[in-house]
Amino acid sequence: MSRELPETSSYGRIAILTSAVVGTVLALGSVWLTVFLLGGAGGSFYETLFRVGPTIQGGGVGADWTAGNTIPALDFLIALIHAADVILGVFILVLVFLHWAAFRRLASRMRQPGESESQRSDAVATDGGREATDGGHTNDADTGSGDVTDADPQAADDEGGENR
Amino acid sequence: MTNLDHGKFTRVTTTFHALLGLDVFVLFFTGYGIMFNDELWWLLELMGGNQGVTVIHRIAGVGLVALIGFWVTLMVITPTGRSNFREIIPTPGDIQAFIQDIQFVLGRADERHPNARQFAGYKADEIPLLSYVGKGVIFIFSIELTLLSISGLLIWSKTALAGFFQTKTAAMAFVVFHGLLGVIMLMGIMFHIFEHGFHPAFYPLEIKAFIPRSMIPEDHENANADSTGIENLSLSPSWGWVTSLMGFFVVIGIVSVLLGSIFDEGYPVPRDLAIGGGPTNLLLMIGINIGILVLFVGLVLSLYGNVLRSRWERQMQREREDRTTATDGGQHHGDD
Repeated sequence: MSRELPETSSYGRIAILTSAVVGTVLALGSVWLTVFLLGGAGGSFYETLFRVGPTIQGGGVGADWTAGNTIPALDFLIALIHAADVILGVFILVLVFLHWAAFRRLASRMRQPGESESQRSDAVATDGGREATDGGHTNDADTGSGDVTDADPQAADDEGGENR
Repeated sequence: MTNLDHGKFTRVTTTFHALLGLDVFVLFFTGYGIMFNDELWWLLELMGGNQGVTVIHRIAGVGLVALIGFWVTLMVITPTGRSNFREIIPTPGDIQAFIQDIQFVLGRADERHPNARQFAGYKADEIPLLSYVGKGVIFIFSIELTLLSISGLLIWSKTALAGFFQTKTAAMAFVVFHGLLGVIMLMGIMFHIFEHGFHPAFYPLEIKAFIPRSMIPEDHENANADSTGIENLSLSPSWGWVTSLMGFFVVIGIVSVLLGSIFDEGYPVPRDLAIGGGPTNLLLMIGINIGILVLFVGLVLSLYGNVLRSRWERQMQREREDRTTATDGGQHHGDD
């Protein structure tokens, strides 16, 4: 059996370096824009905001709070994101249950813990089905499918008799 | 056969995935430590209190902007990257895959659709680069990360926001928007952890997200097999109870952060100071903490994936050295 490393195309070194530079500049530029331009000398100084104007023209005490709480665009934005949270949350829950159930069905097709190859073959054959084995390309039943043994190329060779 | 399925991604992609995952986990732990501070007070204290947690969150946020800038540039300027845009376009097969997943669960279909299949096995040539869930994850996460970065940068400078709207309360609305937006991703990541950590063929981790394709041997001799060959894999003894427990935790975590996002909102800003938490919200507190536990499991699995990649690299290196040594009298396979 041939078992070979694939020919793959990846990203060039220059492209990676260029992208890394762009990413770094973007990140630092964003911080500069936010902290120094908007929040610093070029932006509003905190002390100049929200001075209480206890007159009708000035809005009176608490006017800022009322005005800030009744901006229709922001109110709509929050309502929209609440709705998106709920709709997508329910959909994500559906996906969780769907995968959970699919995983259980797939697990039932696998060799159960402690089940030997011959037991599996007999059980399938009595139903009139085909044999589950494929000529010795088996996994180690004791280590579990997720064990690092499965990620061992040498082990794969030993078990399956593959010639790399 | 083994559960070492055919790989899909380049080394740059797997490295990017690991870095993005690490960064997003830090953002979640800090960001939701702030938003759900009634329930996650211990996490807030652990990360340096109000001051420390915002500093960590902002540093990780800058890292996120750098990672996004890096990835978008790489996708645009390289032919391999540009070809990826074709791979993420939704197709009718993706809708069919979702429907067939429902049929598969109900016993009305024998196999999962190729666009849904995580374990490819002998059918590796049939499956696309991304499953229908994978495409959804890329679309939703791209929109989410962009909006989260922009809103995050805006609320960094609250004085500018307040100045623009001429009210401090408006700045609070942006903070709330930022937090509520992240809830979608928070729930999505919990599902992502379950999907890729608890598939019976890959449990406890789908390693192709960590080991690049160039390092995973391929075998095409069984391409005409009737099935994926999953029946030849052994189920891990602990899979049943661990997956049941994690499935339960994921559901509790998602429901709790969803409910928490509805109750713990901060806009419109209430007239009275409302102290959250307390005995009446004990269940919510437990649920949100379970959600954080799920994220922590995800973080551990992500780190474990990199440990496996490192071990795998060393083993392949040893194999190459052994073959080189055997060249004099042995057989050279030359598969590198």
